[in-house]
Amino acid sequence: MSLIGPLLLATFLFCVGIYGIIARRNAVLVLMSVELMLNAVNINLVAFQNVLFPGEEAVSGLMFALFIIGVAAAEVGVGLAIVFNMFRNRATVNVDDVDLMRW
Amino acid sequence: MTGLDVVFVLVGLLTAAGAVLTVTSKNLVHAALALAVTLAGIAGVFLVLHADFLALVQLVVYVGAVAVLFLFGLMLTRAPIGREALDSQNRGLALAVSGGLFVVLSTLIVLAFGDVRVDAMTGPGIDVIGIAIFAVWVLPFELLSMLLLAALIGAIVLARREDGESGEEAEVTRIEVGDPPINESDGPPAEVAGDGQAELPAGSGGGGQA
Amino acid sequence: MEALLEYAYVVVLLPLISAAAIAAFGKQLPWKGAELGIAALGIGWLMSVGIAWQTFMNSPMEPVEEFFRWSPLGGGFVFELGMLVDGLTAMMLLLVTTVSLMVHIYSREYMKGEVRFTYFYAMLSLFTFSMLVLVIANNLLQAVIGWELVGLCSFLLIGFYWEEKSNQDAANKAFLTTKFGDVGLIVGVIVLSAGMFGLTDTPFNIIEINQAATDGLLSTSTIVLGMLLIFLGCISKSGQMPLHVWLPDAMAGPTPVSALIHAATMVTAGVFLLARLFPVLAQSALVMGVIAIVGVITLFFGGLLALVQDDLKKILAYSTISQLGYMVAAIGVGGYTASIFHLFTHGFFKALLFLGAGSLIHAVHSNNISDMGGMRKAMPHTFWTFIIGSLALAGFPLTAGFFSKDEILIAGEIWAGGGFLTGNLVYWIGLAAAGVTTFYMARACFLVFAGENRSHHPPHESGKQMVGPLMLLAVLSVASGYLLSPFSPDQPNFETWTQTPILDGDAVYPFTVDETVAFGVQGDGVIASSGSVLAAEAGDGPVSVLHGVPSWHPDLLAIVLVIFSLAVFLAWRFYGKGLPEKDPMLQMGPVTRALVAKYGFDDFGYRYIVVPVRDVLSRWATTSSNTYIDGAVAGVGKATKSAAMATYRTIDQKVIDGAVNGSALSAAWWSDRLKRIQSGDVQRYAGAIVAGVIVLVLAFAAAR
Repeated sequence: MSLIGPLLLATFLFCVGIYGIIARRNAVLVLMSVELMLNAVNINLVAFQNVLFPGEEAVSGLMFALFIIGVAAAEVGVGLAIVFNMFRNRATVNVDDVDLMRW
Repeated sequence: MTGLDVVFVLVGLLTAAGAVLTVTSKNLVHAALALAVTLAGIAGVFLVLHADFLALVQLVVYVGAVAVLFLFGLMLTRAPIGREALDSQNRGLALAVSGGLFVVLSTLIVLAFGDVRVDAMTGPGIDVIGIAIFAVWVLPFELLSMLLLAALIGAIVLARREDGESGEEAEVTRIEVGDPPINESDGPPAEVAGDGQAELPAGSGGGGQA
Repeated sequence: MEALLEYAYVVVLLPLISAAAIAAFGKQLPWKGAELGIAALGIGWLMSVGIAWQTFMNSPMEPVEEFFRWSPLGGGFVFELGMLVDGLTAMMLLLVTTVSLMVHIYSREYMKGEVRFTYFYAMLSLFTFSMLVLVIANNLLQAVIGWELVGLCSFLLIGFYWEEKSNQDAANKAFLTTKFGDVGLIVGVIVLSAGMFGLTDTPFNIIEINQAATDGLLSTSTIVLGMLLIFLGCISKSGQMPLHVWLPDAMAGPTPVSALIHAATMVTAGVFLLARLFPVLAQSALVMGVIAIVGVITLFFGGLLALVQDDLKKILAYSTISQLGYMVAAIGVGGYTASIFHLFTHGFFKALLFLGAGSLIHAVHSNNISDMGGMRKAMPHTFWTFIIGSLALAGFPLTAGFFSKDEILIAGEIWAGGGFLTGNLVYWIGLAAAGVTTFYMARACFLVFAGENRSHHPPHESGKQMVGPLMLLAVLSVASGYLLSPFSPDQPNFETWTQTPILDGDAVYPFTVDETVAFGVQGDGVIASSGSVLAAEAGDGPVSVLHGVPSWHPDLLAIVLVIFSLAVFLAWRFYGKGLPEKDPMLQMGPVTRALVAKYGFDDFGYRYIVVPVRDVLSRWATTSSNTYIDGAVAGVGKATKSAAMATYRTIDQKVIDGAVNGSALSAAWWSDRLKRIQSGDVQRYAGAIVAGVIVLVLAFAAAR
């Protein structure tokens, strides 16, 4: 099969994730979008694993994808905790309501 | 166009549709479910790419754990379900930026890898992966376990109620949007500050201290 | 001993240190600073004696020259500061430190109770330093510096009693008159050094100038112009006619100052400088002729003026002028050794005479010999030392003055033998002036020491500190003459001591060899001006520079003795019985009138120089200064002010303040707009980041 398919899919997912991060108000949805972007990267890594190390013992692409999954799990945990904290303090999860850093 | 390609296109379309639905759905729960579909689709992509182990991990971790975690998150934050606008006013910016980036990246990818084919795909066996994890990648792997532990503790610390905090939501601690910060200086704003300060709704909160 | 010569500059620096120390904390010391000056001069004197001994015993010897250079203007134009130690320097060092030490000791008693006692000692030390700078200089520029410094010290010390207007005037007169000649001096130095350009990178170096002149590397015009201008400085500084007028007035200063500055050292600076540059001026018969004629005029007419003086110090002052005339004339007739020998001996006996006069004045509180009389019994030590000094000045046989003055006369005779009229002039007029000298000194001695006491104070002998220096100087006034006398035919003697390598034994005057030399004063004494020798009478051949140890001249001795006896007899005849009712010197009609009026030099100077300068030139200068220059200055000021106001209004207020205010305002305006970027909306930030990513991606893609 051609490599271009997975790559384009990954790019699409990545850009959709960016769109979600910027456009969505709800912090939980923003976190979801981040997950989309991370998964897009995983697709990339797996696709290039097949291109670069076909039938070899080296599994660097898979390993990186595995680690990214682990890190993403940790990130979701911490991120949701932050969102809860924010909700408890400000009774909202809308990121555009949290603008204490403005001028 | 091999059979594999056909399968990939189908799975890919499913994944892409789920992703679009995730970021556009008016309903939060629908968005979370769409995310689960997307993640499952990605697991399918991994299968197509002969990464069996990774596909299983994807299913277990993401579809099984993370999606459920998101649902819990949505529920715990009493997210308004339904009418409230889920999109901020940055939608146009988001469209422009993400669309622009997609055009640029996809153009570059097509130009660079348009004719690369991966025909002889023989994904590594589970034994190879196991040996790799515990022989070559053992140190990063252990570091990852430390990271997960730290995240676990951090999440608990962040999310747990402080001493003295009631189980109920304390309405008095809420800060309404637009209020000036409490520790604002108690004098009237200087003249030079000009328009910037004037845009604040002066007198509502901070004015009482004067 | 050899190393002592290397450290000769210490002799120079010691008085400077003592001057500074006296000025700084002299008043706190028990002797009010006198001990510092005396100590410094004492050490300096001991070193000078060592240096003189070293150079004398090894004479003739190569000069020791040490200097450091600095080149402030770059371009190979090098100034020097250094020392040149040869016999001439050693001789001057010895003379200056000896007389200065005597004066320092003497002044402790003489100046006792003066208000500015400490100041006086600081000035004495400073003067000694200045004179030593001039003496030890290895280059003309340093010599000029010392020359001006001694002029300054002379000014300050003449005006020591500045409360009186006449003393201020005397100081001003001395300063301005000498300054007139100093202009000539410095221009002359520049002319000489200009001639030296291209030959060396140290155009002021005396040895190099002398060598270049001897080698014929300097053009005749350079030598003539340069040396005549330098001689102008000597005329003013060494009291030659017609610029001698300041010297008698300089007697307004304290008597020790007169002894040190205006008799023994500073006034001889001109002669010293001529001696230093003798190899240069010896190249030109014209220069030597001018020098000789000026010297002859001075030695005779200066001496005559002493005849009618009543003030003892003025008598001595005019006699100094006369003696300086001898020295200058000797230089002019090729008597190099004779001139500086006379300088040497004269320094001692004239200092002795002045200090003796100071002792007398101290006793009777008057300068006038008509107020003295009968001092022989009251002041025996002063009496016999003064008499010895007078005998030496009059050239009585076997005193120092006899040997040195006879040397000058013999030099004139030799010069006349070379075919030069100026030699004859020096010989005969010198003899006549010796008679005049004898007469006025005998007159003074009779009036002061013989007869009855006419003063209003009971005279008393001075203390040891004043008499001691008198005695030492009296010994030197006799003994110094034996350095160059028929009694000392063996080398070394004064001549070998002071000769320079350039003026070695075989040197002759170049223009006495070559008959076709351009400028000459020869034969009938016509000063040629047009490049050819007019009326040259062939002489006896080349005249050598050094004359050797003089032999006895019985004819000259006889003449001198006759003149001496005659003069003393006349003086005794007139003044032996005390002050006559009518001083015959004042009964000579027009001669007296001319002498009393000092030949009208002062009147002439007052009427045609002082008055026009003061009433016309300075008034015009004041007016022009007040109107034109002040106007110009005021105009410049106004223009500056208005320009400044315009600058203030436009540039400062509008441009600079505008820029400052504008930058502040624009900063406020821009920040007001730019702050909106900081919306606090993190999603916008994310969008901006992604936009940046797009740009970066494009940039990297383009770079591939």
